[in-house]
Amino acid sequence: MVEIAATAIDAATLSTREVNALMRARLESGSTEICVENPNARHNLAVALLRPGRVRFLGSVGYYCGGLMDGAEIHVEGSAGWGLAESMSQGHVVVHGGAGNGAAAAIRGGTVVIHGDAAARLGVSMKGGLVLVAGDCGYMAGFMGQKGTLVVCGNTGQAFADSMYATTCYVGGSIGALGTDAVIEPLSAEEAATLDGLLAEHLPAELRAQKPAGRDFKKVVAGRKLWNFDKHNWKAWQDAL
Amino acid sequence: MDDTAVDSTRPLLQSSGTYTAEVMRGIHTKAETGIYEIRGYGTLRQRRWATFDDLTFLPCGLTRIPLEGYREKCSTKTVLGGRFAKRPLELEIPIMITGMSWGALSYNAKAALAKAAAKVGTSNTTGDGGLSPAEREFAKDYVYEVLPSRYGIDVHDLRGASAIELTIGQGAKPGTGGLLLGSKISETIAHQRDLPVGVDQRSPARHPDMLGPDDMVIKIEELREATDGQVPIFVKLGASRTFDDVKLAAKAGADVVVVDGMEGGTGASPAILQEHTGIPTLAAVCEARAALEDCGLYGEVQLIIAGGIRDGVDAAKAMALGADAVYIGTAALISLNCNKPLYVEDYKALGTEPYHCHHCHTGRCPVGITTQDPELMKRLDIEQGAERALNLLRAMTLEIQMLARACGKSDVHHLEPEDMAALTMEASIICGVPLAGTRKVFGR
Amino acid sequence: MDTRSILAGLRRMCGILGYFRKTPGSDDQLGATMLSMLEALGRRGPDSAGVALVGPVHRASYIVRIQAGDELDLSQQAIAENREAIETFARGLDNSSNVSSSGVYVRFLLAGDIDLPALTSRIESLGEGIRVLSVGHAMELSKEVGSPRLLEGKHHISAFAGTHGIGHTRLCTESIVDLSHSQPFWGRGAADVAIVHNGHITNYHQLRRKYEQRGVGFVTENDSEVLAVYLAEALNRGATLRQGLDGVLRDMDGAFSCLAVTATEMGFVKDPYAFKPLVVAETDDFVAVATEEIAIRSAIPGDYKVSEAQVEEVRVWSR
Repeated sequence: MVEIAATAIDAATLSTREVNALMRARLESGSTEICVENPNARHNLAVALLRPGRVRFLGSVGYYCGGLMDGAEIHVEGSAGWGLAESMSQGHVVVHGGAGNGAAAAIRGGTVVIHGDAAARLGVSMKGGLVLVAGDCGYMAGFMGQKGTLVVCGNTGQAFADSMYATTCYVGGSIGALGTDAVIEPLSAEEAATLDGLLAEHLPAELRAQKPAGRDFKKVVAGRKLWNFDKHNWKAWQDAL
Repeated sequence: MDDTAVDSTRPLLQSSGTYTAEVMRGIHTKAETGIYEIRGYGTLRQRRWATFDDLTFLPCGLTRIPLEGYREKCSTKTVLGGRFAKRPLELEIPIMITGMSWGALSYNAKAALAKAAAKVGTSNTTGDGGLSPAEREFAKDYVYEVLPSRYGIDVHDLRGASAIELTIGQGAKPGTGGLLLGSKISETIAHQRDLPVGVDQRSPARHPDMLGPDDMVIKIEELREATDGQVPIFVKLGASRTFDDVKLAAKAGADVVVVDGMEGGTGASPAILQEHTGIPTLAAVCEARAALEDCGLYGEVQLIIAGGIRDGVDAAKAMALGADAVYIGTAALISLNCNKPLYVEDYKALGTEPYHCHHCHTGRCPVGITTQDPELMKRLDIEQGAERALNLLRAMTLEIQMLARACGKSDVHHLEPEDMAALTMEASIICGVPLAGTRKVFGR
Repeated sequence: MDTRSILAGLRRMCGILGYFRKTPGSDDQLGATMLSMLEALGRRGPDSAGVALVGPVHRASYIVRIQAGDELDLSQQAIAENREAIETFARGLDNSSNVSSSGVYVRFLLAGDIDLPALTSRIESLGEGIRVLSVGHAMELSKEVGSPRLLEGKHHISAFAGTHGIGHTRLCTESIVDLSHSQPFWGRGAADVAIVHNGHITNYHQLRRKYEQRGVGFVTENDSEVLAVYLAEALNRGATLRQGLDGVLRDMDGAFSCLAVTATEMGFVKDPYAFKPLVVAETDDFVAVATEEIAIRSAIPGDYKVSEAQVEEVRVWSR
C-alpha cells in the first residue's frame, strides 16, 4: 500500500467535522500516517476511527479524542481532555502529556498509554484492554472496572479500584486509599515479568527507567464482597450503595 | 365444613391504614435480609395522583365535524429528529418499543418484539447491554441506547442504528443505575456485558465520561461525529426535574427528548425507588412541553413520552398534550403473555398469581419473557409472540386514530390539549385544560 | 416560586477561567488575555459573560461599581432615573471622586474607610433594581448579558491592566437571561472578593436559610451566590483565602469548581467527586486556570503543560 505523502492537516482552519472527515478519507485511501497541527485542545477529534493507520496530534486534544475507535492508532503530543479513547474496542492510544477525567472510560479492548498523570476516574467501567499510566492517577481510578488491566506506575488517589468486578490493577507507587471492596493480593513472579514486559513495550526507555521494577508493583483486585447481595456484608454495602 | 360461611362470632378485623399488610410484610422482609426490597414492574401502589384517566376527549358535535371512522384517512406517519439529523427516523405509527435489555428479557422476547416492530413499521430500542443477537437478526429500525453502564457498546452497531438514545435516566428509577440479579447473568449475558457469571449486576448511575449538561453538549457532538451526523440523537430522561432537564437536553443539542414517567417499568429495581422517585407521566408530559415552549424549541425538538402507556387512549392523550410519539414497554410484554393465566403453578411457586405478578427480577418468568432459563424461554414462541405484539401495536394505533377522527383530525399529530377536558381539578391545573362542567382552566 | 427563581435553579452550562501574573508589576495585556480566554470558552455564543479584574491597588480609595438597573426588568427611563440618583448621591459624598457612567453602569472612587454593608444598602435604596456590583481597592467586576464581544464593547475589558482576574461565560437554558444571575459574584460585605463557579451547590437552600436567619441577605436565586457570601464572611472574620476555600470543601455539598480572587490572591477549590472540569497551566510567569484547555491554548501561546486539578484540591497564589 502506498504511503500517501502526508502533508499535515491544519486543524486551525477547519471545523471538527472537516478534520475528522479528512482523517477518515486519508485512512480509507491507505494513508498510514496522518499529522494534525494546531488541534488546540478541541473536542471530538478522531472520533470513531474504524481503519488501521496512525494519527499524530501535534498539540493537545480536548474531550473524547479517540472515542468509539476500532483499530486505529493515535498519538497525542500534548495533553488530553476527558473521556480519552472512551468505548474503544481495539486500537492504540498514546498521550505524551496528562489526561483528564475518565481516561479510557468503558474501553472494551486496545491499549491506552499516558506518559503524564491521569486525573479522576481513570479506566472507569473498563470492559477489557490495557490502561497504562506512567505518572500518577487521581480519584476513583478503576471504578467499577469489569475486565482488563490497569497499571499505574506512580501513586494513586483516593478510592482506588472501588467497586470493581474483574479488572486487575497494578500500582508502582503508593496507593492513596483503597476503594470499597478493593484488596491487595500477592504479585506472582510471572505477573512481575509481564509488567516489566509491558513497561518496556509501551514506555520510552528513559521514562521506563524512572519507574519501579515489575516486582515492586502492588496488585489490587476486587474482594468480591459486592458481587452478590449478602446481608452479612452490610458494612460494605453501606459504603457502596 | 364450609369455611366461607359467615361466622358472627368472629371478631371484626380492623387493619391499620398506616401499617398495612404490605408495609408489615416489607418490614418482615427487611428484618430477614438486611437490605431493601428489589423487584420488577414499576410503581405498584394505587394511583391517587393525576393520571391520563383524569382527562377525557371532547369529540365533535355541532361545533366541529368528525371524520368517518371507516372511510376518511387519519394519518399516523411519524417523523422524529429533523432538527439536526440528515436522516430523520420515519415511522408508520407513533408508538415505539422502548429499551428493555436482553438480560432482563429473554432472547425470544426480544426477537418477538423486534419482528413485530419491523412488520408494523416502527422501531425497537436496544436497552442495556448493546445490540442483542435477536435485534441483530430481526430488527429493521433500532434505536441504539447509550447508557451509563456502556455494556456491550460497539461502534459498528451504533453506526447501524436509526437513532442513538443517550440515556440519562429511566422513569422507574431516575437517578440510579440498572440492576440485573445473578440468576439472570447467564454465560451469554455475562459475555455480552463483560461481567463475571452470576454476579448481582449494579449498573452505574452516571455516565463514565459525562457528568452534566456541559459535558453532554460535547458528548452529543461526539455521537454525531461517530455517525456522520446522519441519525437523530435522543436524550432520555427519567421524569424528575423535568422542566429543567428537558430544557437542558434541548439546548444541549438533542434532536428528540424522551421523558419516561414515574409509572414506567423495570425488570429489577429497589422498590422504594419505583414507588417514591420521579414524577407521574401526566405531569411529566406537561412539564416537558412547557419546557420546550419556554425555550422556543417546541416543534423543532420532538418529544417521546413513556411510562405506563397502556393503550391507544393513553397514547392519544399524551400526544394531545404534546408528545410526538410514545414508547411502550410493559404493555408490549403483557401482549407477549405477561401475567396471562398459563403455567399457573409456576406463578404460585413464585408466591404470586396471574394478573398480580411482578417477579421479573427472579428470572423465573412463567411465560418465558423475563428469564434466561432456556426451558422457561421455550414457553414464549417467537412467531406467536411477534403476532401478538403486532396485534397490540395495530390495535393501539386504531384506538388513537378513532379518537383523532372523532375530534375531527385527519392526522393523529393534530390532536391538541383543546381536544380534551379534565375530570378533576388537579388534572385541570396540571394540564391547562378546562374542568368539565365549568369551561374554566384552574390554577393558571 | 416565581419563574425567575425556577429558571435560576437550572443546571447552567458554565465555563470559568482565571489568570494570575506571577512576575512583579502590572500586566497591560491582562484584560486582552482574559477576553481571549472568554471567547474561546464560550461555545456558540454564550448568553452572558463577566469578569472580575484586579488592577493596581488604590490604597487610599475604594472603587465602587454599580448597575443602575437590569434592562430586562426596567424601562430605559427608570434606569436613567436610577443612574441619575446614583450619580447625584455619589457626587454628594465628601470623599468621592471620578464619578462616571456608561450605559447602565456607574463607577466612582471613595476615599477613606467605609462601612461596606451600610454603603451598599444606601446605594441600593436609591431606586428599585439598583445593584452594587463590586467594591474594592483593586477589583472591578463587569458582567453583561450577551457574548464576550459585547462585554468588551460595553466595558473595554481589553484595555484593563492589572495583575490577575477571573471570568465566566454562561450558556444558559432560559429564554430570559438575567444579569443578576450572571457571574462573577462579588462577596458582598467584603472588599475585593469575587468568585466564579461551575457546578451546583446541592445544600444551597439549607445554607441560605441559615444565613438569612442571621440577617445576611441574598440578591439572586442563583446557588453560586452562596459561595461569594461564604467567602466574604470568612475573609471578614480574618480567615485567609486558603482557609476560606478549605471551608468551602468542608461545608458545601455538590459539584463545584470555584475560582476566587482577592486584591492580592487568586485561588481555586475543586469538589470531592471531580464532577466539574478544571485545568491548570503554570509557568514561572503566570498561572492560567479554566474549565477547558482550549481557553488557555487559544489565549496564551507557548510550550507549557496543562493538567487537570485533582479532587478536593485547593490552591492559592499570592502576590
